[in-house]
Amino acid sequence: MTKTLVSAKDLRKNYGSLIAVDGISFEIQEGECFGFLGPNGAGKTTTVKMIHCVSPVTSGTLIVNGLPAHINNRALKKMTGIIPQEITLDVDLTVYENLIIFAKFFDIPKREAKKRIAELLHFVELEAKRNSKISELSTGMKRRLLVARALLNHPKLIVADEPTTGLDPQARHLIWQRLRQLKSEGVTLILTTQYMEEAQQLCDRIVVMHQGKILKEGVPSKLVAEQIGREVVEVRVPKEEDERIVGQLTEFSCGHERVGDTLYFYCRDGQGLMKKLVELDLHNYLTRPATLEDVFLKLTGRSLIE
Amino acid sequence: MNLSYRIYYIFLRNLYSYKRFVVPTFLVSLVEPLFYLVTFGIGMGAYIGYFGGKPYLYFLVPGVLVSSVMMTSSFECLYGTFVKMIHEKLYDSLIATPVSAEDAVAGDIAWGAFRGLISGTLMMTVAMVMGVLPASVLSAALLLALMVLVGVMFASLAMIVTSFSPSFDFFNYYTELIITPMLFFSGVFFPLDKFPPWMKTLSEFMPLTHAVKISRAVYSGTLSSGLIWSLLVIVVLEAIAFTIGLKSMKRRLIK
Repeated sequence: MTKTLVSAKDLRKNYGSLIAVDGISFEIQEGECFGFLGPNGAGKTTTVKMIHCVSPVTSGTLIVNGLPAHINNRALKKMTGIIPQEITLDVDLTVYENLIIFAKFFDIPKREAKKRIAELLHFVELEAKRNSKISELSTGMKRRLLVARALLNHPKLIVADEPTTGLDPQARHLIWQRLRQLKSEGVTLILTTQYMEEAQQLCDRIVVMHQGKILKEGVPSKLVAEQIGREVVEVRVPKEEDERIVGQLTEFSCGHERVGDTLYFYCRDGQGLMKKLVELDLHNYLTRPATLEDVFLKLTGRSLIE
Repeated sequence: MNLSYRIYYIFLRNLYSYKRFVVPTFLVSLVEPLFYLVTFGIGMGAYIGYFGGKPYLYFLVPGVLVSSVMMTSSFECLYGTFVKMIHEKLYDSLIATPVSAEDAVAGDIAWGAFRGLISGTLMMTVAMVMGVLPASVLSAALLLALMVLVGVMFASLAMIVTSFSPSFDFFNYYTELIITPMLFFSGVFFPLDKFPPWMKTLSEFMPLTHAVKISRAVYSGTLSSGLIWSLLVIVVLEAIAFTIGLKSMKRRLIK
């Protein structure tokens, strides 16, 4: 029997006249990894800030662990770990001092804190940097330290706001492994990301947000199957040819879309479609499995979002 | 207001970071009073001679003492807090923990006052080495308490300025148009009785004037009932500035 940890109903957030979150509802179960996907300015960060009680709710209800989320709710802050989008480490302090002071903020007794810090430095592979200054760390190390800092209080809920932005593949995979490990230990994970691979790697369920609203909710693989199909065929042909080509391919019942120099087909039988394209003497094509990225682009539009 | 004992944790955080700056700040805090005391006290004092029966230094020291507290506390909560808030984004991570925004700001005000206390204490030590002694041990203890009171007041006032300052440059308005004039209108370097009435009235509105009055009386051990008014001005202004400082910083930190 799963328990609901976070529940939002008609949640809204305005900054002055700007509507950042526009009446969204969702539920997050204990122990799952729940992802918020969306382009810049979709309202993901604002939503998670309300969940972890640093931004007041404009209207609607937001219940976390049975308590209303509120900026003065110290009990909720005590059980939550935050991996922020920006690197907010204390540059005046060393790696160890960053952690020992943060442990204080959570009222963790010194002996316990020291033990916990040793464990966590091992967990994020930063033991060798214990006494380094923050300025001596690489971006990957800083992000790992943020992960360690978020875990000091043994959080029941972890909020990771774009935790791998700006990292190289090695560092990114290390963070993903650690987050999966935490999940296997029963921690609930809330993730915001723009990286579709990250969402596919980590999330049990996702919502796609755009302009403050939730466009779709579901299990990543099912969303791909429902929204796109199994495969995507990209054909690079001039726009004038669209009608002719689409006319020849009606038997495959594919969805199609024109963006820039490319004609996209979303279908189940990619192989068949490819053969037909060769017959039509179209060789400039590419076939690949459908991904969450296609869902994302289909839902939020392929044009640039500023 | 959502204040708790966690104010101490922020103070502690600042103490950790201070370890690395302690030598340079002590040097600055020592050299600055030496400049004042040597140039004004000895150089100008030689022309002025005796002042109410005592050398000029006895007049100068109590005034310079509280103005050094004013300077240090103000700068800490202007530049120090601004860097932590905007450049280092430290407050963002603080308010995501059980430490509230009010705790964090109050902790920084306490820290600003503490820095002021260090400056003032160093200044008093230098003065004592130069032979300018407070009237009694009690006087010295009261001076320390006064420094804390004055420090919290100016730290809180600075916090209000920081709460709406768009950039570093903005602080110049406050330091050049408010803090520096106070040095000259508050009777730090010379008595105010030769001022025309309007200037006297103006100086009554300056919190430093009242701090200097009390400091001078405590230093020489000549307390009078008139000081209650000055004390009241400081305490009331301090309470108001502290409350507004916390509220307006919270508005900036929590969006």
